[in-house]
Amino acid sequence: MKFNHNNRKRYLASVTDRYVKGQMDRRTFLRSAGKLGLGAGVLGLSATMPFGGRGGFINSAQALEIQPDADMMAWLKDAAKPFAGQTIKLATESTPPSNAINSALKPFFEEATGIKVEIEVLPLEQVLQKLTLDVASGLGTYDLYYIDQSWMASFSGDVIDPREKYEANSDLAMPNYNMDDFLPALVDGISMYDGIMVGVPYDIPIFITMYRKDIYDELGLKVPTTMEEYMANAVAIQEAKAPEIYGTTGQMKSGHYSLECDWTCWLWAHGGSIFGPDGKFTGNDDAGMAAMEYWIKLKENMPEGVTTWTWDGQGQSVLQGIAGQALSWGEFFPWWDGPDDSKVSGLMEAAVPPAPAAPLRTTDQTGYGEIPGVGHQGGSSLAVSKYSKHQDAAWLFAQWATSFDTQVYITALGGGTGPTRESVYDDPRIKANAKPGIPGTTRHLDVVRETIASHMGSEPDLPEWAELSNDTIPVELGRFWAGEYDSPKAAMDSIAKKVDGILKG
Amino acid sequence: MTDVPTSVKPPLQRRFISDSAFPWLFPLLALLLVFAVYPFFYNIYLSVHEFVPRRRALEFVGSANWVKLFSDSRMWGALAVTLIYTGVCLLIQLVLGMLIALLLDSDDPGFGFLRGLLTLTLVIPPAVTAMIFLLLEDANFGVMTYYLQALGLLGSNPILANPSTALMGVMIADIWQWTPFMVLIFLAGLRALPPEPFESAVIDGASNWQVFRRLTLPMMSKVIAIAVLIRGIDLFRTFDYVYVMTSGGPGTATYTLSLYAWQQTFSFIKWGYGATLSLFSLIVILVIAHIYVGLTKLKW
Repeated sequence: MKFNHNNRKRYLASVTDRYVKGQMDRRTFLRSAGKLGLGAGVLGLSATMPFGGRGGFINSAQALEIQPDADMMAWLKDAAKPFAGQTIKLATESTPPSNAINSALKPFFEEATGIKVEIEVLPLEQVLQKLTLDVASGLGTYDLYYIDQSWMASFSGDVIDPREKYEANSDLAMPNYNMDDFLPALVDGISMYDGIMVGVPYDIPIFITMYRKDIYDELGLKVPTTMEEYMANAVAIQEAKAPEIYGTTGQMKSGHYSLECDWTCWLWAHGGSIFGPDGKFTGNDDAGMAAMEYWIKLKENMPEGVTTWTWDGQGQSVLQGIAGQALSWGEFFPWWDGPDDSKVSGLMEAAVPPAPAAPLRTTDQTGYGEIPGVGHQGGSSLAVSKYSKHQDAAWLFAQWATSFDTQVYITALGGGTGPTRESVYDDPRIKANAKPGIPGTTRHLDVVRETIASHMGSEPDLPEWAELSNDTIPVELGRFWAGEYDSPKAAMDSIAKKVDGILKG
Repeated sequence: MTDVPTSVKPPLQRRFISDSAFPWLFPLLALLLVFAVYPFFYNIYLSVHEFVPRRRALEFVGSANWVKLFSDSRMWGALAVTLIYTGVCLLIQLVLGMLIALLLDSDDPGFGFLRGLLTLTLVIPPAVTAMIFLLLEDANFGVMTYYLQALGLLGSNPILANPSTALMGVMIADIWQWTPFMVLIFLAGLRALPPEPFESAVIDGASNWQVFRRLTLPMMSKVIAIAVLIRGIDLFRTFDYVYVMTSGGPGTATYTLSLYAWQQTFSFIKWGYGATLSLFSLIVILVIAHIYVGLTKLKW
């Protein structure tokens, strides 16, 4: 059937009307809408933040082909019989997995189990507030916790260790769940705290190198493998193309967590660390100063607006074609590569982060479990609350949400978001989307996997980290970039004093 | 012979009629108790406690939060920013509001439509206004930045990333959105003024300036005072614009007291200190408002 514009609208109105009136099931409706080249967006499935951000994108092509694993769904149906009719709640950040589950996948779980799932999608800081209130009251309002890697220390005592849960009750242990399939580096980086597995790895935004291949080819640049080459490429692009296209870009808004993320990347890449083994701030040591010098020089090759942008603005700057390369969240890649609103669709390529300029510090040279690595990660895990009144139902959901089959759909529907399971990266359905210039491309995922395995950096775990990473450090760095400090050393010494003061209480 | 009842029951509907004011005030009192009185006293309770995350409990800390508040340089910085923000915005909105109100105080055709247009900015949520101005002032995509730079009024430093211009950048959004509110209040006052004194003044040969200074301003003084009080309190608790546009930055250049209190309470889960900050804000507002009401001889 061939559609012209008016026919498309009439056809869409017709199928929508039948769907709303209950004369057509959801799957048939999706298939019908798919004939128009429409997909999840018609159902309001798209969940992008104002600038696209890290929320992820729904791949309409994949939305039409959801066929959950029949064996898994049959097992769920059987295992969930005692819990049918229960309602479980989850408060989560607007991330690709949560958006994909909430928008498209949740009905399959609810249909099979009879368990109703309520998901609140909130800004990250509100998730933290809700969790804190929940654990403070012990009411168990939320059955499942979305736990950012930087909160593990705070909530490790309020959750049920999934390994214990899996082994304790074989009736509720999903067959073939295979905990060993989770990428080992992720388990250490976003799930483990002080010997406790806080939750199951759920999502993994991570820094990778992304660059404009057309510009690299035009200027004869090589993919950077060292920090020096990364800088040289930025300078070369800047000299050849600015002010239309800048060498690189950033997420450096004062007082915002994104600024702290950028800083740690450069800090770790120069052999530095946030904390030393004695628990004291070390961002002001020689390695820290080398990182600042590098960052200052790099910023000369960024658009003027970087000091007012969080990740949203940074993503937008590449999308609008004004930056030649970025070392940033891999989740940006499918957005930039998509054909709809990107000026750089099909022009981007991905690579693992450059090698550090100085040897990375080891965990025994840092404090609070900090793991230096150029690929800064911002992952999270999904945990069952120990205050929940529906722990078993919540555990079934957690297993389903992080199972191989669901992760495949999350990766496809979430528009190329990085999976936390090794096997998902090799799934033919994911490989099939590894094409340039299509919605939700997955062609960057091999780079993501390698970065997780070999280049990943993880922030420290301590209860005060939320304040330090969201206020103390980015506010003072913001003051530095605004010219309120005479030198980078003065700025970092000031941060050291404030951080150590907060840790002393 | 039938028995005569010793007391006569009032008809059914009489039971719902009472000379007491309480039943009629009860719904409002209940709302006030739940949403104002209880939270106020709970805030006082919180200000002498602090939430301890490790123990998941509120613990009594006595006056520690108040001691901390007076020695907290961030708080004093935020208070200074709040006072500057309130003072400058209020002054500009007052002057602009009065000028526009005087221009629109006419019965000529089309002026009613123009007055109606003024309400448009007021229906936009402040956070959306902040997003609009965030884009307008963006260093790379912003129209406002482009024209200011073209006119030589702005260097290459982004408006919102420069400590000397960031606060003004935020204030522009507030002024754009809320000046029409002042215009509407002033217009209501202007149109309620009796025409006779103005006619007499014109017959006596008074200039426009003299009429404005000797008649309009004195006769409008109560209206102006009320408008300043309402906007002043509103400005003092500004949150949306700074949260969306600058997050308080660069550094602490646009940190207002409300933003600081919100951050301490909800981001860092320091409920006690956050409550102390908000109580302190309330005290500052009450003191300033009390002095202002005394100076302007407002009667409620």
